Amino acid sequence: MIRAVKVCKTFKTTDRREVKALVNFSTHIKKGEVVVIIGPSGSGKSTFLRCLNRLEEIDSGEIIIDGVRITDKKVDINKIREDIGMVFQLFNLFPHKTVLENVTLAQMIVRKRKKKEAVDTARDLLHKVGILEKENVYPSQLSGGQQQRVAIARALAMHPKIMMFDEATSALDPEMIGEVLDVMKKLAREGMTMVVVTHEMGFAREVSDRVIFMDAGQIVEEGTAEHFFTNPAHERTKVFLSQIL
Amino acid sequence: MKFSRRSLITLVVLGVIAASLYYFFSTRGVTYIWHWEKIPEMLFYHGSKSPEDPTPRLHMGILMIGFMLTLKISIFSIFFAIIIGTIVGIARLSDEPVTRALSISYVELIRNTPLLVQIYIIYFFVGSLLRLSAFTAGTAALSIFAGAYVGEIVRAGIQSIHRGQMEAARSLGMSYAKAMRYVILPQAFKRIIPPLAGQFISLIKDSSLVSVIALADLMFQGQQAVARTYYAFEIYFTVAFLYLVMTASLSMATQYIERRLAISD
Repeated sequence: MIRAVKVCKTFKTTDRREVKALVNFSTHIKKGEVVVIIGPSGSGKSTFLRCLNRLEEIDSGEIIIDGVRITDKKVDINKIREDIGMVFQLFNLFPHKTVLENVTLAQMIVRKRKKKEAVDTARDLLHKVGILEKENVYPSQLSGGQQQRVAIARALAMHPKIMMFDEATSALDPEMIGEVLDVMKKLAREGMTMVVVTHEMGFAREVSDRVIFMDAGQIVEEGTAEHFFTNPAHERTKVFLSQIL
Repeated sequence: MKFSRRSLITLVVLGVIAASLYYFFSTRGVTYIWHWEKIPEMLFYHGSKSPEDPTPRLHMGILMIGFMLTLKISIFSIFFAIIIGTIVGIARLSDEPVTRALSISYVELIRNTPLLVQIYIIYFFVGSLLRLSAFTAGTAALSIFAGAYVGEIVRAGIQSIHRGQMEAARSLGMSYAKAMRYVILPQAFKRIIPPLAGQFISLIKDSSLVSVIALADLMFQGQQAVARTYYAFEIYFTVAFLYLVMTASLSMATQYIERRLAISD
């Protein structure tokens, strides 16, 4: 489903230093697989996600999604993005649109669905994430957890083949993390291909097929969540886990 | 209500100024005989306009005709200034260096030269080349002038929207244009209503400069009326008041729109 081959990405900071975010990063994610990426901040986990839908352009290497080499300049990236849902740390709901409009907008103007069809799809998904009763309010009137669930519904409304979560629970108050993780777990059990950047090891243990530990733009160690809990091999992994667990 | 209190204060201040001027003249031994009674007929009069149409009707007087032209030229110019400003504002943020440079040059060229000079150039030079009427030339000059300022306001508005909004829109498969149209610009415009209102109030007042190309706007008609009657004080006070009516209405309208849009905050 997703194949990254020797991906390199370097950022220039404002003081002209170069930061290597991804260094010869290669991995393969199968259809229906739930992959959790962990690692210290600045290790390149978010950058990897953002390269998958080309919110960031890579410097070298290639990324192939569903048989399409998306890193080719000729590829219509908007078409690719329709199939890759993304959930952000800060939700990024459209504040000038109601909850329902947030979920129907892209369906209508990108997928070209009729309004009725878009609204039906939106209501189904809002029901699924447990927030249908708020369909007519604006995002500013919702709690963080509610906003994030709407953001998940918004991404799902495009019927994506892949869902990416970029620290989706990091900006939430502790009591709201559970409601968002529950939605993500439900999604994982339904067989969605998911790439999840998170520090929630409980989530990893419950639904992930594989955990990747990244540091300095590279994969340090990967395996099942159980492997990370019981016998992480690398010293850096142990140090990191001892900090987050 | 905030806006009515504000316009009330403005009126009171104007009244005080008028009263003190009156006091000044009446106590300095300057005798000025006010002819306020001549003003109403400069706004509206009942009578027959010409021998061909002898039935008496209500007609607009000289100042009202000017008021209508100023209103018309202001509305047209505001409309075109928004279009020009939006294009310029977006172009200013383009990845294309040429587009960006064109936008910057336009803004700098227009902002750094006097509007009066621009009006002359557009009317006498461009206007005679393209056979523009005075009205078209005047509207063009005002739109181009205000468009440069609006462009900067729009650019600031777009830049004030969090980067995550564009990313969220693009990640849903929207093109840059669609993301701008449906996500970024609606939010940006909401945010820039106050500076835009200021800009358009300036535009209404600056429109008085088109009187130099013989456009019969409020200022021009006022000057004509003064030349004909010598009631300079009465007429210019009235002209000022009529400009105030337009600018204060715009002010109130934008505050109304602002309140309406505040529901999503």
